[in-house]
Amino acid sequence: MLLVIIAVVVVVGVVVALFGWDRYRATRTATGGRLEPTGELFVDPDSGRRMRVWYDRETGRREYRHEDPSDAAFGADVRAGEPGVDGEDADAVPPVRPALGGPQRRAISVTGLTKRYGETVAVERLSFSVAPGRIVGFLGPNGAGKTTTMRAMLELVRPTAGSATIEGRRYAELAQPVHTVGALLDGNDLHAGRSGRNHLRVLARAAGVAPARVDELLELVDLTHAADRRAGGYSMGMRQRLGLAAALLGDPHVLVLDEPANGLDPQGIRWLRNFLRAQADEGRAILVSSHVLAEIAQIADEVVVINHGRSVLQAPLAELIAQRNGGMRVAGPDVARLAEVLRADGAQVETAADGALVVADRTGEEIGQMIAANAIVVSELGARGESLEDVFFELTGAEGGPS
Amino acid sequence: MNRLLSSELLKLRTTRTFYALMGSAIALIVIITVLGAALGTFKHTGTPGRALLGVAGVAPLFALVIGVIGITTEFRHGTITPSLLVEPVRTRLMGAKLAAQLLAGVLLGAVSFAVCAGIVSVILSGRGIATGMSTSGWIDAVIGGALATMLYAALGLGVGALMRNQVGAIVIVLAWVFVIENLLGIIPGGFGDGIKKYGLSGVGSSLANSAGHASRIGQVPAGLLLLGYVLVLVIAGTAVVRRCDVGS
Repeated sequence: MLLVIIAVVVVVGVVVALFGWDRYRATRTATGGRLEPTGELFVDPDSGRRMRVWYDRETGRREYRHEDPSDAAFGADVRAGEPGVDGEDADAVPPVRPALGGPQRRAISVTGLTKRYGETVAVERLSFSVAPGRIVGFLGPNGAGKTTTMRAMLELVRPTAGSATIEGRRYAELAQPVHTVGALLDGNDLHAGRSGRNHLRVLARAAGVAPARVDELLELVDLTHAADRRAGGYSMGMRQRLGLAAALLGDPHVLVLDEPANGLDPQGIRWLRNFLRAQADEGRAILVSSHVLAEIAQIADEVVVINHGRSVLQAPLAELIAQRNGGMRVAGPDVARLAEVLRADGAQVETAADGALVVADRTGEEIGQMIAANAIVVSELGARGESLEDVFFELTGAEGGPS
Repeated sequence: MNRLLSSELLKLRTTRTFYALMGSAIALIVIITVLGAALGTFKHTGTPGRALLGVAGVAPLFALVIGVIGITTEFRHGTITPSLLVEPVRTRLMGAKLAAQLLAGVLLGAVSFAVCAGIVSVILSGRGIATGMSTSGWIDAVIGGALATMLYAALGLGVGALMRNQVGAIVIVLAWVFVIENLLGIIPGGFGDGIKKYGLSGVGSSLANSAGHASRIGQVPAGLLLLGYVLVLVIAGTAVVRRCDVGS
């Protein structure tokens, strides 16, 4: 009899614990499925009026609304757990935000991050940041510490020293991690016996994302046809795409992607490039790692280059190119006239020993247009000096051949 | 229902391993119980019902393996990474896993012991043999069996979380139950008897009310002792999972 009583107590205890927890969660997050005001406030530069970000937890939809005194939510308190503005009082209206209306704060901020595994130093005093609306390429040779850094940002790996924050908070402190950050770390992180659809459904359930979003994402990454097959049979490219779909479940405003182009075919890579650009243009902050510079050069606004766990460089890509390249070289019978035209346009023109021109601050296309407009004959027009690849090798100290 | 728990239950339901283990446990119990009840002579036991109920005692062992797999499969396949991205607070993830394992275990145990009890009483009464058990005895045995299976699943989760290596953890739990405790039990005197009584197998079968008389302890103390083992292992396992680096 005593046993029956104990059994009942255990069952009741489990039930109370579960439902009590739900009740607790409910008070923190209110009901899903509709837009709720968040603590993110900014001033609309067009109208000068105060705006607030509204957020639908279930679908991950974000909407920017003018704060209206007649609105029930006017001056509504910051919802519990909503990230503050760089640690300031989140209720204070920050100064004018960029035209996009996104938050001005740094989306990703890595400060003095260090990770040692015993004697081995994986990452050492690494610092960099990613702003909203920017694509930052995270470059370095294999084993440079890119993956460890990304895992440390997401609190999968415990840093030895330093910190990484996303929208001003540690990952585990985010109120809605999946709706804030989407991460693709390794496409192989799936159960071989579970179908692609079920893989996403499991994660969607835990995140409180509607099942319809799973179908939508399968369609987006072109996996609908294979969704009900066991994921163990997926190709590398399909796994990467499934991983990308998982990263997008909560329609996050920060994306952290580790070598996302791995295993994708050329069409897939082009699709990914366009997709990421569109995501950044909507105000999302994107950190994307690669060991192939050419992949990054076409999409990144900035690059962070690391080697042996240390930061070698963080700079806008254009600046990197300008700093490192030797300008455009133009040769031909009429170059003296071209030099005049270019100088009149304010360009920096020098004459090389062999009589060819070296133009430091014009692109090949700009020079080509001038050549055409002025009907100048040239025999040669091309970039001089180091290629981006050379720059990369120089920065990371890598030589040709596998290291 | 809690999102994380619902996700954990879906994880279980979307792999074949889980169904294979649940299915083989129940199939094994049904076959052996039917054979035992139909063919047994029961000359040396006054309680053939209790003896046959021992067949359902394999259910906790299956639950142990299910529990181990419940966490180690995440590390083996790397799904722990997306799981922790969705729920970065690891204690919460472990809590949901624990709840899912308790539910899976109690389900397996209740079905196994109830089916076993049903088969035994039907066949034995058909053969005109007294089971030697009262109604409340049956109820105690089924509830005890269900609870033992539930706690074994949680225990497996704890060991799995401590080890994280799937093969290693399964080998350890099975070796412990089948080899180590048996060997320790051979030691003559108080130590060996203590292992038989208070070891994992001992408390498991005492709780399930199916152990031989010599090494029996009461169901309630057996249940509390097993609960203690579970708490120690699950807390230790959770501490390990909280601290470990995932990936790289």
